[in-house]
Amino acid sequence: MGLSPGGRPLHATGLLEEVERAATAAGGWAAVDLIAVGLGPGSFTGLRIGIATARGLSVSLGIPAAGVCTLDAIGRGIGEAGAEGLRLAVLDGYRGEVFAALYSDGGERIWEPLVCAPGQLAERVAELETPPSVAGSGAVRFRHELARDGVRIADDADPVHRVAARHICAIAAAIGDGKAGPLAPIYLRPPDAERWRERDSFQRAE
Amino acid sequence: MILAIETSCDDTCAAILDGPRILSNLISSQTAAHEVFGGVVPEVAARQHLELTAPLVEAALAEAEATLDDVEAVAATAGPGLIGALLVGISTAKAIAAARRLPLIPVDHLQGHVAANFLEPEPLEPPFLCLIASGGHTLLAAVRDHEGHEVLGQTLDDAAGEAFDKSARLLGLGYPGGPALEREAAGGDPEAFEMPVAMARDPGLDFSFSGLKTALVYRCRELGPEGVAERRADLAASFQAALVGQLTSKTARALKRGGWQAVALGGGVAANGPLREAVARLCEAHGVRLKLVPTALCTDNAAMIGSAARFAPRIPYPDYLGYDAFASGELPADGPKSHAASDISARRH
Ligand SMILES: [Zn+2]
Repeated sequence: MGLSPGGRPLHATGLLEEVERAATAAGGWAAVDLIAVGLGPGSFTGLRIGIATARGLSVSLGIPAAGVCTLDAIGRGIGEAGAEGLRLAVLDGYRGEVFAALYSDGGERIWEPLVCAPGQLAERVAELETPPSVAGSGAVRFRHELARDGVRIADDADPVHRVAARHICAIAAAIGDGKAGPLAPIYLRPPDAERWRERDSFQRAE
Repeated sequence: MILAIETSCDDTCAAILDGPRILSNLISSQTAAHEVFGGVVPEVAARQHLELTAPLVEAALAEAEATLDDVEAVAATAGPGLIGALLVGISTAKAIAAARRLPLIPVDHLQGHVAANFLEPEPLEPPFLCLIASGGHTLLAAVRDHEGHEVLGQTLDDAAGEAFDKSARLLGLGYPGGPALEREAAGGDPEAFEMPVAMARDPGLDFSFSGLKTALVYRCRELGPEGVAERRADLAASFQAALVGQLTSKTARALKRGGWQAVALGGGVAANGPLREAVARLCEAHGVRLKLVPTALCTDNAAMIGSAARFAPRIPYPDYLGYDAFASGELPADGPKSHAASDISARRH
């Protein structure tokens, strides 16, 4: 059973419904022995809904939960789609930034998850010895900035750009029982900006 | 048994209740995490809640010597409060309930403060007049049954605890400000400085504390840093006396109007000694019973949420799968019952 909360918090109110449907399709909760969840990076609130849900299910069912970096799931999808060479997973980080991680042909992480402006990412990509295959919501949104000098990006509608819960599951299953650490979200950003925005909207609501 | 979760502000709370009996009531305070900011930071609160909620639920079960097999419903604060913080508690509660096909009980935070009175030992049965003063809310409520409350008056600006915090900061005292200011005031003269008696001529039951805070700002400006240092205890005592005076005079007015037999005092500010004494004197003068909620149940806690949940509608599985928390100022169509409490926002217990 894998959870992949989308980027937008509002979608996450539908998360548990999706999860219940998936569990039913699998033959009920008794057939599920591991909860896998995407840890981000992504929307702070969306991540927390996903991880809180995974933890709640884990406590309730008495089965383990494992967290997976959402960029790893994109990276795995790029490989599955048949791309050869380097794989670059890029998610839209909003506020004009992207979250990204680079993987080898075999799926090993080369760059740890990072947050930066699309232009900065393009510069780093230009320094690579061979151009990568790029996918994810950030690759779609910033196609113009990223697609140069042999960099490959699939059509906007290609499923390779979407985070698939089945990749989260496959990666979590490979990590194995007990090896998963605490389900800590990958925020990549300090609370600062978000904090003032939330506080302001909170005061307006008064 | 009911499992209850409260994450509306800066305390992560979980409790197990067997009827009105508290089997466990755990609070993991985030005060230290927010101290550096001198107030609650919503994003920091939400991050902390995520770390603490699930482990706290397991600890609450362990302390109650219970398992989830004993739990017949899961309750969680649905609002009002910080939306990011609420979502962590609601998401956790929904997942725990859904996997076991248990009903979910969304609870109004303020009704939780009211329902703290229904808990053992010595539960107070309605009807009673309820004064709740905390860092997030200040209100007088008429409690006529177990299911809800009617707001008779509420603060038009700062909450009482918020006024304490801001004034403590102004006087160079620590955070949280309430206890620090009370300690300082103990050595001061409450009549040393004249403070405005806000809303004194207003016939309603609403509160206002911003004028009081402004008066303190002016006194501090007149005195200068050295003068403030010298007269700190007198300033604290005068401020505290004025604040307590407003709370008690409005309560007195409500008592005269309502023909009440009992008054309940709750919320974090209820831990304030002079307030307790003043309300006690008032009740004695009116010949009504005073119920002081135990300190552990005054500040935000999950036992009070479980207590309110006993009398709130249960949403059966799977109707709550898409249920959302509500922030300050909103009330969900099918949400928890609260007669008129929606425009109070929860910042701190
Ligand atoms: Zn409260």
